[in-house]
Amino acid sequence: MSADRFRKWLMYAYAATLLAFIILPLLIVVPMSLTSSNSLAFPTPGWSLRWYAELWVDQRWPNALWNSVVIGLSTTVLASLLGIPAAIGLAWSDFAGKRIIYAIIAAPLVTPVVIVGVAAFSFFATLGLVGNKLSIILVHTAMAVPVMLTTVVASLSTFDRTLLRAAASLGAGTMRTFFKVVLPLIAPGVITGAIIAFIISFDEVVVASFLSTGAERTLPRMIFSGVRESISPAIAAVAVLLIAFSAVLLGVIAILQSRSQTLRAKVSA
Amino acid sequence: MKRRQRGGMLALLTAPLVLFVVILFLWPVARFLALAVDNSDFSNNLPRTIAALADWKAESGLPDEPVFAALVEDLADARRAGKEGVLAQLVNQRVVGSRFLVIKTAKDAADGKLDMRPVRDEVLSKQAGWKNVDLWQVIARQQSARTDYYLLASLDLKRGADNTIEAVSDDRAIFVDALLRTIWISIVVTVICAVLAVPLAQAIVSAPQVWSKLMFALILFPLWTSLLVRTVIWIIVLQKNGPVNSTLLALGIVGEPLDLIYTRFSLYLAMVQVLLPMMVLSVVAVMRRVPTTYMRAALSLGAPWLTAWRRVQLPLILPGILSGGAIVFVFALGYYITPTLVGGPTDQMISSYIAFYTNNTLNWGMGAALSLQLLMILVLFAFLFWTASALFRRKAHVA
Repeated sequence: MSADRFRKWLMYAYAATLLAFIILPLLIVVPMSLTSSNSLAFPTPGWSLRWYAELWVDQRWPNALWNSVVIGLSTTVLASLLGIPAAIGLAWSDFAGKRIIYAIIAAPLVTPVVIVGVAAFSFFATLGLVGNKLSIILVHTAMAVPVMLTTVVASLSTFDRTLLRAAASLGAGTMRTFFKVVLPLIAPGVITGAIIAFIISFDEVVVASFLSTGAERTLPRMIFSGVRESISPAIAAVAVLLIAFSAVLLGVIAILQSRSQTLRAKVSA
Repeated sequence: MKRRQRGGMLALLTAPLVLFVVILFLWPVARFLALAVDNSDFSNNLPRTIAALADWKAESGLPDEPVFAALVEDLADARRAGKEGVLAQLVNQRVVGSRFLVIKTAKDAADGKLDMRPVRDEVLSKQAGWKNVDLWQVIARQQSARTDYYLLASLDLKRGADNTIEAVSDDRAIFVDALLRTIWISIVVTVICAVLAVPLAQAIVSAPQVWSKLMFALILFPLWTSLLVRTVIWIIVLQKNGPVNSTLLALGIVGEPLDLIYTRFSLYLAMVQVLLPMMVLSVVAVMRRVPTTYMRAALSLGAPWLTAWRRVQLPLILPGILSGGAIVFVFALGYYITPTLVGGPTDQMISSYIAFYTNNTLNWGMGAALSLQLLMILVLFAFLFWTASALFRRKAHVA
């Protein structure tokens, strides 16, 4: 029995060490970003918020943030407009070639991102769209749609389709049924998918690097070129803000999921 | 009947998305990959010269007057069409150091400075570079609008003097090394992830629910943080006066800061940290479905714990390790950001070369050939993983 307990402790100690390896680097930049010094060093020589203030003052960072948000939101909207109908088509019907359609849609997800970036660059260059937000939005949408589709298909699979007939028998048209019955019930899946689509676009750097020029620089693109030159504490400050942002979004999703679980429990009860 | 019709209507809802992906993703990628065999910039810009060289043999020395006349006409046209730069680059790729020769000759040809007869003597006296027979041999071979030049080059091969395939000189042979390095790095990362993930997954599955949920959330969290941020953080952590080095110094383990960053070690560290969550997720998903009674039965029959785990638990979770391995491996093969930022010059993977050839040298053919190579390896390994798990499932079925 004691060997059993020893093994258990060993296992948990191992898990704790490994999780520390995964999480600690993300936490240790927090004190490092609060440095008063001009360079990143640990232990931090003194404390200050100057690098966060710097981000605000240096016009390029708010600019890049704005670009990233615009591109991310547009990607989310476009991915929803394309992804939700497609998810309904795939979840509620059975037809030959369904697998091929899945394969086509998933292609942008598994293609190495450099190939996506270079191909997009050569394609949009012939259309004269390089250095334009639209090109980045279109490619990001292709990259984000597979995830959107997956979460929506998953929530549709638990959708009770007799509700559709109920709505129809009560005289509701297709659109009305969709907006009043289907959409509210699959909302958690849609919102989760939308958040992930936003994050995919918001974090994407390679395609954005190939397709953006000076004024259209996105936040990741700024970080990427900043790191290649020299790492200033400003980069650490941006990293901290982005980690905090991810934490918030993850929290939102966790709440949504527990909500949908209680909702489902209520419906079935 | 009605149901069927409805299925057809619903299937139409996928049409906009499918069209979107085909037009804005598959078509651009296919178009780019086709550049790997495209030779039209060569054959279209020197049509008369190539035609005039049809009967020429390298053994007979420099070509005759008509070929030179054709060359001057072609180069003058290329210059007027603004294509002489592209052409010079293509020639330069094959015969190093001939870029300037082509550009200068094209300029002179367009300016009418090479009009004196015989043109052959005129060109050779003004641009002695054209006395190089290799150059003519290269041009003579460009009749086709397709070429295997880039595909061969991506395997460190080339067409020799007699048009047979041979290896390039050692100092130019870089791509096979890069290819093997890419595969090797991906294998190492996948194996490390598998070895690290299995015990962690076991801990997550067997812990009390609260702890299990907490561990699961912690493992998920990095997946939500951008890849770029996680990579940048490793640079910050591993740099000369970063936390790791200052801790090692303070503890007296090392006398001076170690070179941790821009090494193969830092590349493995960063890639494992980034990809480990995917492996853990995949193993946990399978492990949760394995009843704990199997292990207990084996133990109660007197098997030592490790034997029971190896003979009972491991085979049951192997599909999870395989599918996690496939995901990690396929992602690792295409890695670009992490090797570029935390790897040293000798740790670069194929993706970095693709970006280099298209960004820095505008050698689209080479970039496309390397992309094709990367995609083929990806498909090959995906197929291997798929076959392995199919075989394994059949075996499990028979047993």
